[in-house]
Amino acid sequence: MMDLAASLLSPEFFAAILRVSTPIILVAMGVLISERAGVVNIGAEGMMLSGAFCGVVFSAYTGSATVGLVAAIVAGMVGGLFMSFAVHVLRANLFLSGIALNLAASAGTILALFALTGEKGISGTLDSEVLPSVHIPWIQDLPVLGTILSGHHILTYVAFLSVPAVAIFMMRTPTGLRMRAVGENPEAAKATGLSVIRLQLQAFLLCGVFAGAGGAFLSMGYVSWFSQNMTAGRGFIALAAEVMGAGGAYGTLAASLLLGSVDVLAIALAGEGLPSELLQAAPYVVTVLALALYGLRQAKQKTIGTVH
Amino acid sequence: MQMTGDETAPQKALVEFREIGKTYPNGTVALRNVSFQVIEGDILAVCGENGAGKSTLMKILAGIEQPTQGTIHYEGRQRRIADPNVAGDMGIGMVHQHFSLIRSLSVAENLALGQEPRRGLLIDRRAAADRVRELAQKFSLDVDPNTKVGSLSVAAQQKVEILKALSRNTRLLILDEPSAVLTPQETQELFVQLRSLRARGVTIIFISHKLHEVRALANRITVIRSGEVVEDGVLSEMSDAAISKLVMGVDVTRASRNQRDLSAATPVVVVKKATVATGDADRRIDAIDLTIRAGEILGIAGVDGSGQEGVVDLLCGNVQPDEGDIALLGKPMALATTLDWRRAGMAHLPGDRFQIGGAPHMSLVDNVMAGSHRDKQFTRGPFLRVGAMVARTNELIKTFNVRCLGPREPLNSLSGGNAQKLVAAREFSSNPKFLIVNQPTRGIDVAAAAMIHGELLRLSQNGTAILLVTSDLDELLQLSDRVAVMFDGRIAVVLENDGLTPERLGPFMLGLEKTS
Ligand SMILES: Nc1ncnc2c1ncn2[C@@H]1O[C@H](COP(=O)(O)OP(=O)(O)OP(=O)(O)O)[C@@H](O)[C@H]1O
Ligand SMILES: [Mg+2]
Repeated sequence: MMDLAASLLSPEFFAAILRVSTPIILVAMGVLISERAGVVNIGAEGMMLSGAFCGVVFSAYTGSATVGLVAAIVAGMVGGLFMSFAVHVLRANLFLSGIALNLAASAGTILALFALTGEKGISGTLDSEVLPSVHIPWIQDLPVLGTILSGHHILTYVAFLSVPAVAIFMMRTPTGLRMRAVGENPEAAKATGLSVIRLQLQAFLLCGVFAGAGGAFLSMGYVSWFSQNMTAGRGFIALAAEVMGAGGAYGTLAASLLLGSVDVLAIALAGEGLPSELLQAAPYVVTVLALALYGLRQAKQKTIGTVH
Repeated sequence: MQMTGDETAPQKALVEFREIGKTYPNGTVALRNVSFQVIEGDILAVCGENGAGKSTLMKILAGIEQPTQGTIHYEGRQRRIADPNVAGDMGIGMVHQHFSLIRSLSVAENLALGQEPRRGLLIDRRAAADRVRELAQKFSLDVDPNTKVGSLSVAAQQKVEILKALSRNTRLLILDEPSAVLTPQETQELFVQLRSLRARGVTIIFISHKLHEVRALANRITVIRSGEVVEDGVLSEMSDAAISKLVMGVDVTRASRNQRDLSAATPVVVVKKATVATGDADRRIDAIDLTIRAGEILGIAGVDGSGQEGVVDLLCGNVQPDEGDIALLGKPMALATTLDWRRAGMAHLPGDRFQIGGAPHMSLVDNVMAGSHRDKQFTRGPFLRVGAMVARTNELIKTFNVRCLGPREPLNSLSGGNAQKLVAAREFSSNPKFLIVNQPTRGIDVAAAAMIHGELLRLSQNGTAILLVTSDLDELLQLSDRVAVMFDGRIAVVLENDGLTPERLGPFMLGLEKTS
């Protein structure tokens, strides 16, 4: 038990939280943009998965990690295009389209993996690249803080920097303002002359950028392979983080970090001999609990003005 | 007639509708062969019954809907108004029947939306706020640029809507039932502002169901009935009777009340010394005593914001009193929620029907059934009896004369007035023991208003206790058995309505007299 306490307070533990939270933060930022524009993107998980896959494949064939990352982002955006096409052109249900995208991505990546490598589980035979880690001069030499803050993957820094960027984008730029208007009251926005479809398409594409990058982090961050369904529900956890953050970028960051910590804690506790199945379920259980609490709070606030 | 000054000046058409027709995708023919002119510098009133096609025609002019037939000429040239931006560039601004503001955004953001001033990549918030102040000053409509629209009163939101419509060098201002959500005082204020706009050369089109408003403001009138223009002319040349006949196609008889003695009837609602001291200032109430008896219509009069809304909140369970007691048929209700009230037999037609009264995207059936999904009548075991639900909806559509294609259409395919009739139908038909009606005839045409008045009287005859809140004093005096006048959150007096007049109520409403 002493060991555990020590390991929980160690700088490595906090560094692990930042690492594990990275994909959740990235995807949650994308989800936030789509949600505020009125099109909650259930398909984030699928976008992330295709990003993870394309990153590995393209970096393996070109030998360039950068090309891999770009490919991952493009894959996410293609997912965004799909969502917009389904919802705006075919007038399909938003949630069903998202689920369709997730299923298609899950099966499609396995199929493509098999076609390329002859394997169905893991892309071990593809010699793919990893994105670099960054050592921050000065900070890396600090005790404790150096371990926590320096030496992370480049996308970890991108994820944290993207939070204020998304906050400013949503709250301070014309496009962000218009997206919020469209998300809150599409009819009114239309009457003002805004193009609801164009703004929601943009939101889907931006969400794809973030989800694709989040996927790339999984397959090109600390590992250099893709395995089937390697996102393991992180897209949904990001959706939950966005809801818990109540649509604000900083709140979403806090929620992502919370969900990330639970994950890390579960890994730490696994070393203590607790059943690992139970621990693996922890992040999902916490997500459900957090959402339930959030729902209760919402319900309380809503008593005024309701008729039924 | 006040506004006929320019009769001798050459009359130039600003807008000309030529054979405009509109069929909605669901097959509703909203307009047929509509042709008339809007003369520059006029205030034109557009009148017609609920569902006549007034809003549709104006939406076409504002670029929100496209005509399926015919052309629009603006300043003598044929123009296609493809979207609201084109209309804005042409100098056409519209204030919609249902507000088109984004509630979570500030006033400045709402006005800037779509043409945001920029500094680099960001919105120049200061410039946006300055622009609002400048406009507000120019048109003397005072609003604070930085408040959130959702926290403004309805009247203030209306001002923001008007400023928004005027924000792009507007030469033609369209107002779709702007007074339907305003109190008489606020309406007077609005009219002063509209007249001064006209003096600045803005042409105005104004939709209203109230003849006295039309008379007070407009100089021309166009009457639409069932999608066709039935009259287009100078207002001063027409009598009131002629106009209302044109609008409705028939003469409308007003429902009238019988004088009754209800002092022996069972008290249904009894409020004792109820105080609500928290929340919005104009919803606070102070030591209210009130009894509503079975079969009685109790009207509440008062200058808007004197606490009427507070009494409504209290008696529908939206708020619980800080002090005092409430009972419904002897049952204590001081801690009751809205659901408890409804279960105990309360029904409520809210003043703001679109925000809280209905679900715009859901079908008429769903809207009618909201709240009674658990009634035995509509369930069989765990299942809903859809057939019974549709039958009930059809019945209400018929008795309340709701103009629609069918019960499965969404609520937002109804005209504003018809949607209101449907919500009223739902509340009235639940056989309530206690009914709260808040502004029951806002936005509703004369015939439908008479029908709603008739329904209220019929319910009261059957023993329903009714609380009537309305800013229309004629309506109040026509229906109420007793009138409680509120001032500053208190009940100033309760009067028997044996020939009460507005003059008798006036001093109490203004707080000059008090006897309670
Ligand atoms: N979006 C829509 N889809 C289908 N039908 C519609 C739609 N909007 C309006 N209608 C129908 O078109 C007709 C005219 O409606 P409109 O809103 O123009 O009436 P209105 O004259 O403004 O009435 P009100 O006084 O009640 O506001 C009605 O029969 C209405 O049901
Ligand atoms: Mg209308």
